[in-house]
Amino acid sequence: MILSILIAGVAVGSIYAMIGICYNVMYSTSKVLSFTSGQLGMLGAVFGAWLIGDLQWPIWIGFPAAMLVGVVFSMITEFIAVRPVLKNLDQHLYVLSTLALALMVQTAAAIWWGTEPRPFPTLVGLSPAGLAEKYWLPVLVCVLTMVSVDLFYRKTLWGRAFTAISEDADAALALGIPERRMRVISYVLAGFVGALAGFAGGQLLFAFFAIGALLTFYGFIPIAIGGIGSNRGALVGGLTVGILQQIANYVVGGVFVGVVTFALFIIVLVLMPQGLFGSTVARRV
Amino acid sequence: MTALSNVEIPPQATPWRLATRLAPAAAALAAAGLLPGVVDNYWMQIAALACIYWVLIAGLNLIVGYAGQLAIGFVGLLAIGAYTAAILCEKLGVPALAALVVAGCSGAFFGFLIGLPSLRLKNFYFAMTTLGFATIVTQIALGWGSLTGGGIGLPGPVFPPPFDTPLGFYYLALAMAVLATYVLRNIAISNFGRGLVAVRDADVAAEAMGVPVVRLKLVTFTFSGGLAGLAGALYAARQTYITPDAFTFDLSVMFFIAVLIGGRGRIVGPMVATAVLTLLPEIAAPLVAWSSFAYGLLLLLVVLLLPGGMAEYIDRIFKKRTVAARITSPKVAAIAGVIARPDAGPASPVRVKGVALAFGGVRALDGVDLRVEPGTIHGLIGPNGSGKTTLLNVISGYYAPNDGTIRLGEEDMAGLPVQSRSRLGIARTFQTPRVLGNLSVLDNAMLGAYSHFESSFPLTALGLPRTRREDHAIRERALQALTAVGLAHCAQSRADQLQHTEQRFLEIARCLVMQPQILLLDEPAAGLAADEIDNLASLITKLSTLGVGVLLIEHHTDLVFQISHHVTVLNLGKVLASGTPAEVRSNKEVIHAYLGT
Amino acid sequence: MPTSVPEANRPLLAVSQLATGYGPLRVIESLDMSIESGEIVALVGPNGAGKSTLVKAISSLIAKSSGTVTFDGGDVTGLSPRECGKRGLVHVLEGHRVFAPLTVEENLLLAAFDVPAAQRMERVEEAYSFFPDIARKRHDKAGALSGGQQQMLAVGQGIVRRPKLLILDEPSAGLAPVLIDRVLEVVKSLRAKGAAILLIEQAVEKALSVADRVYVMVHGKLVLDTDARSASAHGVLEAAYLGSTTTHQATSS
Repeated sequence: MILSILIAGVAVGSIYAMIGICYNVMYSTSKVLSFTSGQLGMLGAVFGAWLIGDLQWPIWIGFPAAMLVGVVFSMITEFIAVRPVLKNLDQHLYVLSTLALALMVQTAAAIWWGTEPRPFPTLVGLSPAGLAEKYWLPVLVCVLTMVSVDLFYRKTLWGRAFTAISEDADAALALGIPERRMRVISYVLAGFVGALAGFAGGQLLFAFFAIGALLTFYGFIPIAIGGIGSNRGALVGGLTVGILQQIANYVVGGVFVGVVTFALFIIVLVLMPQGLFGSTVARRV
Repeated sequence: MTALSNVEIPPQATPWRLATRLAPAAAALAAAGLLPGVVDNYWMQIAALACIYWVLIAGLNLIVGYAGQLAIGFVGLLAIGAYTAAILCEKLGVPALAALVVAGCSGAFFGFLIGLPSLRLKNFYFAMTTLGFATIVTQIALGWGSLTGGGIGLPGPVFPPPFDTPLGFYYLALAMAVLATYVLRNIAISNFGRGLVAVRDADVAAEAMGVPVVRLKLVTFTFSGGLAGLAGALYAARQTYITPDAFTFDLSVMFFIAVLIGGRGRIVGPMVATAVLTLLPEIAAPLVAWSSFAYGLLLLLVVLLLPGGMAEYIDRIFKKRTVAARITSPKVAAIAGVIARPDAGPASPVRVKGVALAFGGVRALDGVDLRVEPGTIHGLIGPNGSGKTTLLNVISGYYAPNDGTIRLGEEDMAGLPVQSRSRLGIARTFQTPRVLGNLSVLDNAMLGAYSHFESSFPLTALGLPRTRREDHAIRERALQALTAVGLAHCAQSRADQLQHTEQRFLEIARCLVMQPQILLLDEPAAGLAADEIDNLASLITKLSTLGVGVLLIEHHTDLVFQISHHVTVLNLGKVLASGTPAEVRSNKEVIHAYLGT
Repeated sequence: MPTSVPEANRPLLAVSQLATGYGPLRVIESLDMSIESGEIVALVGPNGAGKSTLVKAISSLIAKSSGTVTFDGGDVTGLSPRECGKRGLVHVLEGHRVFAPLTVEENLLLAAFDVPAAQRMERVEEAYSFFPDIARKRHDKAGALSGGQQQMLAVGQGIVRRPKLLILDEPSAGLAPVLIDRVLEVVKSLRAKGAAILLIEQAVEKALSVADRVYVMVHGKLVLDTDARSASAHGVLEAAYLGSTTTHQATSS
């Protein structure tokens, strides 16, 4: 019983962690937290189910196509909901513009795909040691994503440019780093990671229009716990939320899982506003 | 000098003006009252729904429009009000009108709870919190079947005659809407309304004006929650049956859009927007599946194209700058009338002793001693990074020193927050003027007297004559202050239409209204032309002769040496020299520090 | 404007009637300035004079409300900071703003962002040749360096970009005297290689010791443009920073 709670919790937590990484990547170049992060996961799951499940496309075509949908939506987000409002970042209009876009894509999915959750096809068909694919796939993909994103930041010039922009955007601008291009690239990367989260987690969460909002919230808590900008923190946070949810599910029943998660969210924010690995807030005056 | 002779008291007070201002509202009221005679029951119920939504949105307008908090999950409070009323009536047999009141109270309580995170969490975090709140309210409603009927839901309260008919209910909803509008307007035009805009647009400066940011936010959330609770009870009655899935995210977005599109901080705009948005689903019935999409699109368009709402857009087109002339010369004789306090005791000096403060590893202040005596001007100069502004911020209370004391008279101010220090009579200006662009120049000046208002929030909401009298007295004082600094002719202009230099003088007027003992000026002459610096000098000098102690931080060393009684030079956080202007000016070490030799 | 100016006589940087500021605060109203190739120009003045604002407007980091900037024969008024950098107009911000989480070498590589990958290390080595102390710490995180070393790294970033004009904003701030001298040595070496340098400095005497010319800026205006070694400079400077020694009724400045 404990084992099954752990397995399910780690699997779901990995999905949340990936959405957290998606948030982090977008934030690093634009200082924007976007409500569309969870919707990317929804798109990955829905399009994966449609292309591979319904249209029977082979995985090696269906997978990149589903990822492309996420990338395109993320680029649209940057262009429509983020770039125009960057001028007055202090008004935080991006909260509303990304929320609006998220609502639009969610409704469109509900109309086109339907309001019932639909199953996501099995991809590989392997269950090592009896562990179902829906559990090991998200974990594997999450680990691969973390390693890849980490390598990207540490070893490529683009990744270092992201770090530079995130550290001191004005100095990066003065140094001649092409900040607009870097921002678009970061949204492309975030789109890929977000869609991947939904794709890898599709068997667990189903292809369901409503998982967008779910992932937006549950994928944000890892950031709150781990601190914005820390992918390691997102992993720790994601696993915490996932496992806690499974325990809550077992103890108080499915309907109150949200309540427990929300309580965790509030407690973390009150006790540690900057998260476990985050930096402290800057001077006010 | 008759300082007020050429300045009129603003037009609000005269009866004719009052009548013309109220005419549109009266007309709207008459139209709404006569509506049932013109339309059938169906449309009357729609109108009732619009009234109910407006009760909630009036409260939300205070939070989002005036205080600028991104409370997106407000539908949760609607649900709480609805379920409270329904449970009381259905399970406990409480009479509907009593349940209405209790629903309002429970809404107020939960509004207060939502207000708590707003103190620490900003923007995205806070928005997410309110969304989470709305979600768990629905989840609890769904899961706690024994109380809420779970997925099946509960019947709504039924009001006693004459409100049990559609006509009677409509008038009840209309009455509540009128009441909500009345209290919203009273708050909006009051001290609290200005304070909320300060919280929204300049929260750091708000504290220095004496606005108790925490208390004001919580009171506003509580009040708005109460309105939402009332709306919820009415909503439950109107729907006759409520289930958890009636309280959708769509509704939250709709409420938000109504405030935004109507214009943050306005009343008529959001009211019209509410009516329109309530009607839309009826008119566009076939497209109901796309309604969420439409709300999202509408929100996106408003954010991108009209972030200030329709009202601000119209404002900018039609309201031109009232006066093209530059600032007229100040009438310093008017100052005495502004700052005189009949009950004031002897003024106190500010005594800074041994103050040290380090940020990270950097010692910004390293054992600073300084005294600002009442009735004197104390100049503070020093190279960049010497700690001048940091010292100012420590005196006003934004930072607590690691070491040393700061006293006002005999009182040690350690631990006193910024707004308490401003209530003791410490006023300050900022390096970059922090004025509220969306408010008029006069409103900005009136903000200086925030802590002098005695009317409480509930009494202000009721619009009692006493509140109006207080407001009028402060208005006169503010006008006199504007006359003193030479800005009386643009009292009704929006503050963001002022030139930078005029905004600096507006900050000083605001400080005058505060009737300060001590005035801390942070580089007031930056960006001023020579004649404006002369005006500034005469203002400061007059203030000191009236007994105010002035601490003047400046890079215009000419000005400092000219008007100061005493000058202190800071370098790298330490006092390098202190004495009369002549002594300091000829001090070799000072010269070396500036020229970096 | 003359229609044909011999190339040798044309200034490297020509600023004409520049006006700029922050929002409603107009810091500079109609300022003219010019810098020749291969000269070191010091820009000094009291705090709040607008020196940093001026150079930020020149390198396009802040918007200009009017005026033109001509660099190396071309109009750069409307170009982005990146474009200006590509043409050799390089600006090193004040406050040694290097990227703390990245290593010294990564900081320098970023400065060579637009350079083809194969040539990046060559540029980085150029910077190392000017600052051997930094070369020894190439794999240390920039955040672990001392303030002085960070400043040298920041100047190194400027060097990597092979500037024709290098704008240094208060490179000596917070540095020990021996490090200030080091930076000034580097400035002289750069001039020897043909670059021009615009040097904003608080350490006025030291700046005057390496500069060819000096501009004194007070309250948004250039009040003096003279040979750095002229005798009157010191007196004017003192008056500029601290006001004249005679008290007087408020007059126009």
